[in-house]
Amino acid sequence: MSAATTGPHHSRVASTPAPGPTLGRVVAAEWTKLTSLRSPWWVAAVTVVVTGATAYLAAQASSSDPGYQPLGDLTVGLVLAQLGALVLGVLMGTGEFRTGAFRTTFAVVPRRWTVLGAQTLVMAAFALLMGVLATAASVLGILPAARSRGIALDLTAGDTPGVLLGMVLLVVGLALLGQAVGALLRRTVPALVTTLGLVVVLPLVLGLASDPLLTGGDPASLPLAEEVTGTTVLGTLEALTPLAAGFLMTEPASATPVAGAPDLGPVGGGLVLAAWVVVLLVAAAARLRARDVR
Amino acid sequence: MIEVEALTKRYGRAAAVDGLTFTARPGTVTGFLGPNGAGKSTTMRVVVGLERPTSGTARVDGRRYADLPAPMRAVGVMLDARSVHPGRTAHKHLLAMAQTHGIGRARVREVLEQTGLEPVAHRRAGTFSLGMGQRLGIAGALLGDAATLVLDEPVNGLDPDGVLWVRRLVRELAAEGRTVLLSSHLMHELALCADRVVVIGRGRLLADAPVQEVVARSERAGVVRVRTSDPQPLARELLAAGADVAPQEGGALHVRGATVDDVGTAARRCGATVLELGAESGTLEEAYLQLTRDAVEYRTADDREGAR
Amino acid sequence: MRTDPAGTRPAGRADPARRGPTPTRVLRAEWTKLVSVRSNAWLALGTVAATAVTASGLGLFVRPEDGRSGSWVVTSGFVVAQVGFLVLGALVGTSEHTTGTARTTFAAVPRRLLVLAGQVGVTAAAALVTALVALGASYLATSPARAGDAPALDPSVPGASRALLGFVVASVAVALLGLGLGALLRRPADTIVGGLVLLVVGDQLLAANPGRLTDTVRALLPSSGARLLQDDAALAALDAATLGPRLGVWGGGAVVGAWVLVVLGAAAYRLRRHDLR
Ligand SMILES: Nc1ncnc2c1ncn2[C@@H]1O[C@H](COP(=O)(O)OP(=O)(O)OP(=O)(O)O)[C@@H](O)[C@H]1O
Ligand SMILES: [Mg+2]
Repeated sequence: MSAATTGPHHSRVASTPAPGPTLGRVVAAEWTKLTSLRSPWWVAAVTVVVTGATAYLAAQASSSDPGYQPLGDLTVGLVLAQLGALVLGVLMGTGEFRTGAFRTTFAVVPRRWTVLGAQTLVMAAFALLMGVLATAASVLGILPAARSRGIALDLTAGDTPGVLLGMVLLVVGLALLGQAVGALLRRTVPALVTTLGLVVVLPLVLGLASDPLLTGGDPASLPLAEEVTGTTVLGTLEALTPLAAGFLMTEPASATPVAGAPDLGPVGGGLVLAAWVVVLLVAAAARLRARDVR
Repeated sequence: MIEVEALTKRYGRAAAVDGLTFTARPGTVTGFLGPNGAGKSTTMRVVVGLERPTSGTARVDGRRYADLPAPMRAVGVMLDARSVHPGRTAHKHLLAMAQTHGIGRARVREVLEQTGLEPVAHRRAGTFSLGMGQRLGIAGALLGDAATLVLDEPVNGLDPDGVLWVRRLVRELAAEGRTVLLSSHLMHELALCADRVVVIGRGRLLADAPVQEVVARSERAGVVRVRTSDPQPLARELLAAGADVAPQEGGALHVRGATVDDVGTAARRCGATVLELGAESGTLEEAYLQLTRDAVEYRTADDREGAR
Repeated sequence: MRTDPAGTRPAGRADPARRGPTPTRVLRAEWTKLVSVRSNAWLALGTVAATAVTASGLGLFVRPEDGRSGSWVVTSGFVVAQVGFLVLGALVGTSEHTTGTARTTFAAVPRRLLVLAGQVGVTAAAALVTALVALGASYLATSPARAGDAPALDPSVPGASRALLGFVVASVAVALLGLGLGALLRRPADTIVGGLVLLVVGDQLLAANPGRLTDTVRALLPSSGARLLQDDAALAALDAATLGPRLGVWGGGAVVGAWVLVVLGAAAYRLRRHDLR
């Protein structure tokens, strides 16, 4: 390898108007950093494909039902897409710390909150792209089944635009949740376990508590389901988990709430998920401020 | 300019840096020396604001690093070579750094060229060899064209070509009036390129002086070595003249307290044939080893045997 | 290291048969590696705590008319525990590759399958101990609930003691599945997400669309291993509800066992055939 010598560059640099890092510049840098890695593209591609494929398979399976509603299968693929969004977020949130690249980042931009803010914006933008593609894949996935039954899809009617928007926002929200936990915990495995525990396992546990049929309860021995009126503690807790709240965004605004859960509606659900993200991001920001980075 | 004042950094109870004070001045290459675990990298991380000092201050150009309006243009930093995401190409890594300060792509290409990384610029950093990673670190430090450079073991892992290049580079940077703080374990290299050395051990300052001055403190400095056909009479002659004489292997003598001229004259007086005569010069390595003898934290078994 | 008794030869030159890595030595080395990382101890402790807390929490919501058994109450923490065991196995399987320890390990023991076998041994042992402790902790943590509304643990209920044993067996199986996936994929994020899809999310997704095909696939996922935790009555109820194959008493265990073998086999193949970095 050959190496040339250096020359003075003072004059050129000194003439630049604003020399330091601005939010806009840091956002541009973070965008370069995210898009120059292979993993986010892989995660996004797999997520989009799996989402579309799940919607396709579910639509094929249910298209023989008598009262087939093609739009009913629109959100099925999100059960797997949520994992993609979470993993994307966690990997991006921990990536710098896991690899040591944070030393470069924070030496170049010592104002750490600017970096965290820029990373959040960039994550949101990338997740938005992924969410739009995953939603489009879901729509494409249910098309063949709808066509085979001769049902025309109208995406602009009724609650459907709201549902589509909710699907995109759910992906963005979960990616940001993963990123916030990643930035807070800084290590992949703990961050991943925490995120997946919060999003996947916690609702499962709450579901077990409220529904004995999920594992091995004997349906015959159950009393007839009583009408649940008002909200229950379990129902409220369940609705406030990030996943359940996020999925409210993908419900039609006119949908009735789950028994025992408060009626948050799509907007309320979105706000609950946003609150989770904000709290975790604030915690990550506080940790960045208070603790050394090594 | 880097000013470190009464800097202390503790991890739990152990002090990695303990009341350290020194200044790296413009136009000089300041070599930063110390045994493994002495606290060099820790000091450098505090200087560039990655870690908070437990007490004391570290300033660059009179300000805290975090208060610099454009840190990258003020200080070029190369810390651990593992400060790069292994999945990112060299070019994109540098580009992202440049973007934070509105530095153009042309400059990125320039430093890639300068560090000889052009052929591998679009390869992922995780696939780089040790030396290539090191060059990428140096490229990042050069990117902002800063007036101060902080380089942690920049020649570690470089090929002889690269070592020579770094030596010239830091000399040139200093000649342009920049401040260079550079840590290294290669004493011969530092003796060649540093103006001053700051030596620390267990986080404390052991020496802060120009290289020549430190070298002059080594035990061998000022010693005259002479080898003659018959050492005994010469030794007596020199002792009588008030010099210290230490016999060496192969009939040589190490004389302290006499010049080469004095020894030559004395040899003639006692009729010995001079086979070899010259002033010994100490090396930075010897001076360093003496300075840090008591401050080495990680000893090999051989050291411990020797100490007994 | 042992020196020869006469003291005439340096220790390093001892009988060649004594010098190389043997299965026992590899096992001991792997055990040292496992227990010397503090996070593994925290993981085990966290798994035990989370299992017991979940079981005691769920116990509070059990009513006598639910038709749940006492063994279900004690083992209900498995839903959380399996994540812990998955991660334990995944860490053992991937840490060699993420930390670069693989270079040291496989330079010292070039017979790579010996190392994998050693990892299987220590993972199974660690999971076994953790599962036994978690089961004990769950038993204690659910005693207030069982004294209250929840049914008591009655060993005479058909399959009740098998269900308790099943908790331990299923835990070890999940840990080994995590190990296999980890050694196969070599990256913890991929491993944990993949494992969770196989153990939790896939089942959830398929359960939402019951049908012959989906129920068949469901039965063949490693999540069937959770059937080991059910007593006879619950298994009969599950088999009555499914449209797919009825796995009976041991079918769930057989499915998860087959998964463990296949995944470990694939990991062994990759380990032998592919480069290590
Ligand atoms: N994050 C940390 N937590 C605890 N101790 C640390 C940490 N970082 C460094 N240390 C300790 O601080 C001391 C100084 O370490 P440092 O890396 O600064 O040494 P160094 O002079 O750069 O050594 P080397 O020549 O080996 O690079 C060491 O004893 C080290 O163990
Ligand atoms: Mg160091």
